[in-house]
Amino acid sequence: MALVETRPVNRIKQNLWDKSYIPEIVRGLAITTRHFFRNMNPDKSQRSTFTREYPEVPTVYPERYRGLHRLMLRADGQVRCVACMCCSTICPADCIHIEAAEHDDPAIEKYPRVFVIDELRCIVCGLCVEACPCDAIRMDGGVHIPPYTERGAAFFDRDLLMERGGLSLAVQGGESK
Amino acid sequence: MPKVTVNGTEIEVDKGTTILRAAAEAGFEVPHFCYHPALSIPANCRMCLVEVEGAWKLQPACYSQVTDGMVINTKSERVVKAQKAVLEFILVNHPVDCPICDQAGECKLQDYYVAYDSQESRLRAEKVHKVKVFPIGPEVLYDGERCILCTRCVRFCEEITATNELTIVQRGDRAEIRAFPGRELDNKYSVCTADICPVGALTARDFRFKCRVWLLNSTDSVCTGCSNGCNIHLEHFRNEIQRYRPRFNPAVNDYWMCDAGRLTYKEVHTDRLLHPTNNGAELNWHAVCETVADKLKRAIDEVGSDKIALVLSPQASCEDLHLARKFASDVIKTSRFYMGGKRDGDSDDFLIKADKNPNRRGIEAVFGSTTAALPFSQLVDDIEAGTVQVVYMMDQYMPVDAATAARFVERLDKLKLFVFQAQHQGALAQKAHIALPVCSHAESEGTFVNFEGIAQGFERAFAAHGESLPHWQIFMRLAQAMGKPFSYTFIQQIRKEMFAPRPDSVASGTAEGVPVE
Amino acid sequence: MVEVLITVIKIVAIVFVFAMGVASLMTLLGDRKQSAKIQNRVGPNQAKFFGFSLGGIPHFIADGIKMILKENTMPNGANKWLHTLAPALIFFPALVGWAVIPFMDHYCTGSVRTLADYTEVCIDGEWKNYFSIMHSDAGLLFAFAIAAVSVYGAAIAGWASNNKFSLLGGLRSSAQMISYEVSMGLSLAGVLMIYGTLNLNEMVRAQGYLFGGWLPMWGIVVQPLAFFLFFLAGLAETKRAPFDLPEDESVIVAGYITEYSSMKFAIMQLSEYVATVFIAALIAILFLGGWQVPFLYADGIRFLGNHWQPFAENPDLWYYFTIMLRIGAMVLKVLFLVWLQFMMRWTLPRFRYDQVMTLGWKILLPLSIANLFITALILTIL
Repeated sequence: MALVETRPVNRIKQNLWDKSYIPEIVRGLAITTRHFFRNMNPDKSQRSTFTREYPEVPTVYPERYRGLHRLMLRADGQVRCVACMCCSTICPADCIHIEAAEHDDPAIEKYPRVFVIDELRCIVCGLCVEACPCDAIRMDGGVHIPPYTERGAAFFDRDLLMERGGLSLAVQGGESK
Repeated sequence: MPKVTVNGTEIEVDKGTTILRAAAEAGFEVPHFCYHPALSIPANCRMCLVEVEGAWKLQPACYSQVTDGMVINTKSERVVKAQKAVLEFILVNHPVDCPICDQAGECKLQDYYVAYDSQESRLRAEKVHKVKVFPIGPEVLYDGERCILCTRCVRFCEEITATNELTIVQRGDRAEIRAFPGRELDNKYSVCTADICPVGALTARDFRFKCRVWLLNSTDSVCTGCSNGCNIHLEHFRNEIQRYRPRFNPAVNDYWMCDAGRLTYKEVHTDRLLHPTNNGAELNWHAVCETVADKLKRAIDEVGSDKIALVLSPQASCEDLHLARKFASDVIKTSRFYMGGKRDGDSDDFLIKADKNPNRRGIEAVFGSTTAALPFSQLVDDIEAGTVQVVYMMDQYMPVDAATAARFVERLDKLKLFVFQAQHQGALAQKAHIALPVCSHAESEGTFVNFEGIAQGFERAFAAHGESLPHWQIFMRLAQAMGKPFSYTFIQQIRKEMFAPRPDSVASGTAEGVPVE
Repeated sequence: MVEVLITVIKIVAIVFVFAMGVASLMTLLGDRKQSAKIQNRVGPNQAKFFGFSLGGIPHFIADGIKMILKENTMPNGANKWLHTLAPALIFFPALVGWAVIPFMDHYCTGSVRTLADYTEVCIDGEWKNYFSIMHSDAGLLFAFAIAAVSVYGAAIAGWASNNKFSLLGGLRSSAQMISYEVSMGLSLAGVLMIYGTLNLNEMVRAQGYLFGGWLPMWGIVVQPLAFFLFFLAGLAETKRAPFDLPEDESVIVAGYITEYSSMKFAIMQLSEYVATVFIAALIAILFLGGWQVPFLYADGIRFLGNHWQPFAENPDLWYYFTIMLRIGAMVLKVLFLVWLQFMMRWTLPRFRYDQVMTLGWKILLPLSIANLFITALILTIL
């Protein structure tokens, strides 16, 4: 016969008064009534509702909020990205599409011919920024991904992303000067 | 048989074994750049230094042979220090542009840096700048800054192709790999130098910037470029072949393959026939099979089975051919076969064979004789003579000159029925009454028998393009529609059966080897 | 002619203004706003009148417009006639019951005098029934009889929808309402024995007695157990949580309302709220003294045998004042009871169906029978 491990459970003995559930119902009513009257308080700061009145009151973004993507630029205004595909590889939502091409300048060598981010598919995790070895992609603090009425408008292409970008101080191949 | 001790593990190895091999047998990796099992050993990278008890200097493991009672340590403090020093030395002028470099992900320098070095650069001076993106050959580009001067490529051109294009020019930190004056790296195996290059110095022009290597999925396959049947890693990403890479097989291709073969993958993705059509109208498989069955039955009644010809393709796998034979003999009841396939091309005495079809010996193996199929030119004459009125053709290749091919295309109008079952669109697909789309070797599995009679299996890499199906499945469907179904469920059942009656002509079984690169 | 006009005004005021008004406000304030407050939410506040959300009240107008404009669908294979009839069958009894609810004592054309046993008599005039639609000596029976009819509506709606969930909802509803009607009726038997009448107005009058000069002898004082039983059974009868098994969302979608849309759906919802208000009115009349305001009588204030008479020079003014106060008291009592029912609803979780049946037949029924016997015993002894 197999040994069965047993554990005694201390059951609370209920008397007739408890079993009628009247004290518990009264307790429950007391809690809901307390909430009801607290939230009827004309002074809104005394209420315990924590709903944010969103369209009327704008949301405060956290300091480290990561929002809309942008592509950084070189000193001459060309795209900083070298199409290493690290961001599209790490992207858990698979929302970055890059097509690499040969650059005329052999010192730059490789650049993204096509760089498209599907902002609707993006889950705003920021891993692309972490993965970028060239400081080429960043996410704006405080700027939310805007709502779209058209699916195609959510595809941010290279030029649009560069328009939002700024000068990157990174140097190709690390710090050599 | 010398006995050696590697890191405390005692093993017995053959006489003449190098320390690197002995350590590998004992289960210890010795890092190395310049050593390649198929090439001579220059011992110039110094990455493989190991400590041998009794020797006062560290010994290059790739070059030194073991002696009886040798005690080797590949992980001692001195070795670790030496490995760090060697890597730091190699990296002094290395641009560390891994985000750009195509080798990133399969780069030995990258791997070894993480495994054996992982310290910050102490260099504060400007790095030496060398040539970038230098077209050293038509298929290969050279990046001087990334090169670690291991000379694998130089030795490859000396020893494997014996063309001697490459050498090292300049000295010291200005040394670079260059072709001799007036020459370029243009032998037929030049992309192999990019394969054996341990870093990103030599890159294949075709694969350059196309896809990062860590995104690739690799499937074991066989090159279809010629009848040599080189073993390959078929590397693909998102249902598209990105490159072929040779797969080590000492019985067939060793570590190598030709440049032309590498590019044959492009055929898989160009001009594919994607939907079954009946006189140009797209149909689903069920409807098209019913139509073909109906038309074939009527043709059998009207002109008789012996006027129905089946054009065999040596591009198809043995499984496909076996079912083609069964379909002809059991369902249509004809034995009128003609030989299709590509025309002969150039050849050399190394890997490239004149017969550009991967499975001609497969037809012989499946049909049991070398004369089972009549030549294709005979078919053109037979159509003209009226002895063939229905043609069922596998694949679009015609092993005849352009004039005969044109004549064949013209004569197709005379046919009662032309069923065309192929991968590609073209003149034949336009003329066909029924066109059936077929998978490439990357989308199906099967067996090719190479020119030496070695049967080699290949695996399915990704989903079929469009609605295409393998030849054998189309024959199954047609047989079903004709009311004489075959009883196969898995391709293994066909495989068991296809060589069974005539095992003598084929040395079956895939030769397999594990590369120790 | 004047009588008819007065009756029409009474019907409009009581049924359409009070009952319907409270009920439809309850759909918004009780169901949505009150639950939001209890659950620390804001509740609906986006429908606005000229930019003012007005506590969400525009929502119930918006809901009404939405309901009217929605497509009136009917499932395939439903019995068209019965499917259309059922909402009416539910709505009708919910409204007709209000006929016997007194909002105030009869109006005395002469002067009112309060006797020593706190009963009011009309001197130099007659009682005129201005504050309830119908003065019936079988008022309570009428109310019960009418309330029982609404079972048919639910059952028919469930059956006629040609939907499993609707049928289950209809069955549950009829079983539950029949079960609880038994204990509801029996729990009132004790009350009837004490007051000795079925006339609701007479019952309220009887509750004007002050025991010892300071304790109003309301139903809740003389029959506390009956109040408790009737309140529970009333909750179950109106099919509100925790007894809302007939429209158990997580189990049978929306019960017998599943296949209703548009105004039919609105009417079925509304009649449930009207039933809630009706039960509240019955409880107020039977146990909370109805229109009675403690110590306030038509000829002054009485407390511990003392008698104050404000506006002594103008007793008519005091009488009108009393009428106002009494109507206000009745309305407030009803509203409080409705609020309490909704509090119960948002406090307690839904019962399991067998628990509902156990509670009805094994607990409430024996208790109400015991209550009846004890009351009878005490009455006999006294």
